[in-house]
Amino acid sequence: MVGPMYDFLANPLGAVRSTFDKAIGSESDPSSFDGKDWGAVDLFRHFLFDQARLSQVPILNGATINWIKPNTLVRFRGMIQDMLGNELYVGAYKDGSAWRTNKFMDISQCPVEFNSPDMRLWERRLLYCVPVPGLSSWAESTSEVAVNMCMDSTSEQRDKRRRMDIEVVDHNDFPVSGDEFEYSPSAKRMKEDPKNEGPCSSHAILPDVNRDSLPCLVKIYDSPESELKLNDVFEFVGVLTFDSELPSEKVDQDEFSNGLCDDVSVNLPPNKVPRLHCVIHRKLTGYDFLQNSPPTEPKPHLVKEAREALLRHLTSILGNDGVAAHFMLLHLLSRVHARADNVAVGKLSLNLTCISKEIASVFGTKLNIVIKNLLPFTKCIPLTMEYLNTAFLAPKKDYQINRLIPGVLQLAEGSHLIFDETCLETGTLDSVGIENTRLLKALIELQKVEYDFQYYKMEMMADIQILILSEGKSNILPADIIMPFQPSSSGSSEAVPAEVLEAWRWYLATVRSMPHTIESDMQKVVENDLVTARQADRSLGSQDFSRWLTMGRLISASFGETSLSLEHWQMVKELERLRIDRLK
Amino acid sequence: MASDSSPGRNNNGPSSPDEFASSPIGNTYSSPATRTRRRRRSTTPLPYNTPPTNQSRFATSESTPTTTPHRTRHHVSTPSSDGGPPPSSDAGDDIDEATPTFVWGTNISVQDVKAAIQMFLKHFRDGQSQGSEIYEEGKYMKGIHKVLEMEGEWLDVDARDVFDYDVELYGKMVRYPLEVLAIFDIVLMDIVSLIQPLFEKHVQVRIFNLKSSTTMRSLNPSDIEKMVSLKGMIIRCSSIIPEIREAVFKCTVCGYFSDPVVVDRGRIGEPTSCLKQECLAKNSMSLVHNRCRFADKQIVRLQETPDEIPDGGTPHTVSLLMHDKLVDAGKPGDRIEVTGIFRAMSVRVGPTQRTVKSLFKTYIFQFDEAKIQQLKELSKQPDIYDILTRSLAPNIWELDDVKRGLLCQLFGGNALKLVSGASFRGDINILLVGDPGTSKSQLLQYIHKLSPRGIYTSGRGSSAVGLTAYVSKDPETGETVLESGALVLSDRGICCVDEFDKMSENARSMLHEVMEQQTVSIAKAGIIASLNARTSVLACANPIGSRYNPRLSVIDNIHLPPTLLSRFDLIYLILDKADEQTDRHLAKHIVSLHFENPESTLHDVLDIATLTAYVSYARKHIHPQLSDEAAEELTRGYVEMRRRGNFPGSSKKVITATPRQMESLIRLSEALARIRFSELVEKHDVTEAFRLLEVAMQQSATDHSTGTIDMDLITTGVSASERMRRENLASAARNLITEKMQLEGPSRRLPELLDELKKQSSFAEVHLHDLRNAVAELASEGFVVLHGDSVRRV
Repeated sequence: MVGPMYDFLANPLGAVRSTFDKAIGSESDPSSFDGKDWGAVDLFRHFLFDQARLSQVPILNGATINWIKPNTLVRFRGMIQDMLGNELYVGAYKDGSAWRTNKFMDISQCPVEFNSPDMRLWERRLLYCVPVPGLSSWAESTSEVAVNMCMDSTSEQRDKRRRMDIEVVDHNDFPVSGDEFEYSPSAKRMKEDPKNEGPCSSHAILPDVNRDSLPCLVKIYDSPESELKLNDVFEFVGVLTFDSELPSEKVDQDEFSNGLCDDVSVNLPPNKVPRLHCVIHRKLTGYDFLQNSPPTEPKPHLVKEAREALLRHLTSILGNDGVAAHFMLLHLLSRVHARADNVAVGKLSLNLTCISKEIASVFGTKLNIVIKNLLPFTKCIPLTMEYLNTAFLAPKKDYQINRLIPGVLQLAEGSHLIFDETCLETGTLDSVGIENTRLLKALIELQKVEYDFQYYKMEMMADIQILILSEGKSNILPADIIMPFQPSSSGSSEAVPAEVLEAWRWYLATVRSMPHTIESDMQKVVENDLVTARQADRSLGSQDFSRWLTMGRLISASFGETSLSLEHWQMVKELERLRIDRLK
Repeated sequence: MASDSSPGRNNNGPSSPDEFASSPIGNTYSSPATRTRRRRRSTTPLPYNTPPTNQSRFATSESTPTTTPHRTRHHVSTPSSDGGPPPSSDAGDDIDEATPTFVWGTNISVQDVKAAIQMFLKHFRDGQSQGSEIYEEGKYMKGIHKVLEMEGEWLDVDARDVFDYDVELYGKMVRYPLEVLAIFDIVLMDIVSLIQPLFEKHVQVRIFNLKSSTTMRSLNPSDIEKMVSLKGMIIRCSSIIPEIREAVFKCTVCGYFSDPVVVDRGRIGEPTSCLKQECLAKNSMSLVHNRCRFADKQIVRLQETPDEIPDGGTPHTVSLLMHDKLVDAGKPGDRIEVTGIFRAMSVRVGPTQRTVKSLFKTYIFQFDEAKIQQLKELSKQPDIYDILTRSLAPNIWELDDVKRGLLCQLFGGNALKLVSGASFRGDINILLVGDPGTSKSQLLQYIHKLSPRGIYTSGRGSSAVGLTAYVSKDPETGETVLESGALVLSDRGICCVDEFDKMSENARSMLHEVMEQQTVSIAKAGIIASLNARTSVLACANPIGSRYNPRLSVIDNIHLPPTLLSRFDLIYLILDKADEQTDRHLAKHIVSLHFENPESTLHDVLDIATLTAYVSYARKHIHPQLSDEAAEELTRGYVEMRRRGNFPGSSKKVITATPRQMESLIRLSEALARIRFSELVEKHDVTEAFRLLEVAMQQSATDHSTGTIDMDLITTGVSASERMRRENLASAARNLITEKMQLEGPSRRLPELLDELKKQSSFAEVHLHDLRNAVAELASEGFVVLHGDSVRRV
């Protein structure tokens, strides 16, 4: 065979079809493909990964949606925000004497009667995906094709717009009259100025199509349910269908006058939310957001160098407060690595105290920028009375539109949150405020967020690093580490070269994902230390021990080591001593 | 005879045509001579009309089933299993050709199914009546008679009965519900019209209680057109939609009314021209709404219950179409089980949605049998008590007796209501007092998670109204609304109150009523109400000054009024002893938590789901009674406890037990019997209850100066020995004052008196405030006058 007969990028469905025809020729019974792949996915996998053509696949986002053609292969990176259940579709049907397939397509082209033997019904999962909340600008994915696309907006703007957009999408269940979109082929429509569209729809369409943050309805074929979880960050490669031709007026109003229609297209019209028929998906880790893939092998000297430099940088940012910088580094490396009962093991939230409004104005923004530059998903929330009383922190299920309304705390695993409590003033919390403080407390203590399903609540596991800036110890957010902040200078704000930043990001991503153990003799030492400490001070409890062990783990990890050494354990004790001294 | 009427197709159905013909109910059909045979070749697939299923092809083709049963033959697509000879007997008889009707696409013969259903309806008897009364009517014949009397519209059929009677019929029904149910309906109507020929209503069959229920997640395309049973929670109901069943058209030209046109596959075939021979006007027919027949329809969305959702998933939903009587049978929030046919409905282009057409639903929320069996097996284990204790908060070690007490609280005793109106609570209240960092709160959280209706509050944030109930004004209408607080909300559950000591005086006083009477009374803003609050209270408190002072009594350690304290059945002191062993244990535990797989460290314990199921099953189904032996043991033990206070030769009266303890003991023994799933409280339950109570009392009600149990410590806060010491001091002070001071003489200062008192050997360790108390007592008798520190004898 001389090269593929089909263009994977421009005509993926051709590849699907030809493999299907080949498979059906040898198998002849389409029922053997129920819930299975006939080899098309392997072909794509070979093309994308073995031939390393993944980077040639254009990335789908608000900027590229206008020029990517439907029915081509695209990539979409996003967080699974909602699961819309399963959908049945006519998978294969007999057209005359030949079997045809509708897999990876929206429109079924089959006129066959329901449930005849000439038709197979298959199932696919619907996932509503959004760009990862709080995605830093450096982590924006670019593909070779899309490099020339300019992306000038700051992430803050994006956040704001994203919220707005979701609101628009969510509450957008007014009937959209069909005549605005009808008969205009998508390619033509894209060149048109969107303002030419009807007045009633323009305000609803505009922010959805032309924007940086584009939701996507991903249709997943034949993959086990446990593979894709809510709030997971994935990269989906598949066939884009973005059919403005599909009639979007409300269907069958007589039948479903109460809006009980299950069909997602009512709430997510295909001309606003593109569909992606996923061929291959893969879970993304911190690595995948790095622009140029650096060495995956964590060489000791590279790790140490990066650690030194990063610590120096953090110290200078924090006004030469070295102890705080140490804790900050450990905090940035923390993640929940195990759960037992109600204990989330491995979390290390940090509360920098002694920060007045003035200090916050100096250091807060700097810290924010540093963290944004280092971690892929970050968010800064100034905690005010008004915010507590009005914000929607927990996601809530809206049964009217059968969707999960995202809350602020619906975040991807490994997100970083800064709560600036310095602007919090005295006031009264109403019921929303009390609920919100309860949620925040549960998040920081248990790393769980309660999702509101109206008739019941469901706890979802979270893994979110939380940094709190406050004047005194925060009671709304009881952090693991209370660290009085003592800067001796106003902190530098030297610009860091991009490649250095890249090295730091690589360092953080690598170190966080490393495994960790403890040798049995070291375990004895640690145990003895804990016992003596408790004999000396009865007020020490399991929380303190947990904190020390987490710190021990993180310190040795920060040096790129996979087991705890005595030296690092001594460092933990020394750091704790310095911290306790400051608390006095 | 029957075999030659068979066209040679050998169907693999449960009853062969021979059996069918020879069966007694087959009589109407058994004589071929009276049969009108008609052969209809139909290549159309089965019509998929909406329920009620009476308009299926069977109903239309067999207009008068009792007298002239027609046989319709449908296109048989499955190849017959044996290539038998062609129907030679039919050769010369082209009209009277007997061919068994097959359910389209299968090898199930309609006649067989029909016969099986008739057998079932006529002859099925309940397990109890079977054997004893053969001549008695079957369960469903009785049911049919009842339906006729009541003029009902449906007959409920338990699918398990079908299964018990005829496994193959059950299998067919589940696999080909549309067809089999249609036959079911026909058979039912046959029987109905036999009994009461003039009965006009159409009676339908409704199946419920399938052998196994599917989870919403596991529904897949292969379940389409099968009968399924689903459990879930209603989240939305549409308003009632009238759905057309029969349409009548009128010719606008001549005014001719057409015959009712029946819905076929969800469509009404509108006549294109007037049917009247004289008129025949084209496109003249218009719908006459008033003469059409409509049926109620409702679309209901059913959502998975939280326990079926895997980690990191969101609940799935399924749409239900409810017809006729099922409309409005459930409200949003109800947990239901529905039985229906899973179908796919096309939505405009290509994709389809999932719906379940509902046949019957039941509000059962019960344990399935396998689970019950499993729980019963579990309860038979001799060490179930220990297993449960171990499984309760396995990550908190030791504190085994506290855990046992909490276990008793989870299971609870029996509430009793006498005819006289007096009621005895069955709920066990527990107070945990202890040093900070002794995992009290974790225990609380754990119990909160386990308990079926637990509410967790913190005493610091709760006010009286937040705990009990409060009246609020609706901001829009201005109406007063009664809103329930934590205690009312946890009715029949456990209310966990953390930081009980930080609670305001006011809030605590509300608890008095709740903990003994188990009601909350409200008299506010024109609303006077008494709400049930049958809740167990699990409270925990920190001692004053954050550390427990063993020299002081419980009352002094936690500032709780004795009246409230005595309402707790068990009071546990969780003290943090400076014990290296426990410290090492803690250290080991935490280290392993951080460096090993935390799941692997737990073994031999029940998971939380099983534990919850076990508890709720026991609470619901087990109501143990005291055996005579146990009652005797209770009395004996109680008397002994009381007697323990009276040491021979001791003048001090120590109360070691009160009637409240007696009640607690009964509750505890009942709970212990429940743990074993035993309906009888036995002697060893009582012994264990005594032990539990004693352990709790030893910790909290032990008089530290004498080492004996003294209930006065709990009830009044002052132990008997302490009381005696105070009396002694008062009398010594009186003697001293009588000795050293003149009547109406100059006053003396208390420290001086103390010094003199200390000279007496027995009062060497008296403190100034003790003396002040004693002198104040004398002052109340009018013996002295106390001004600040100066004492003057009057």
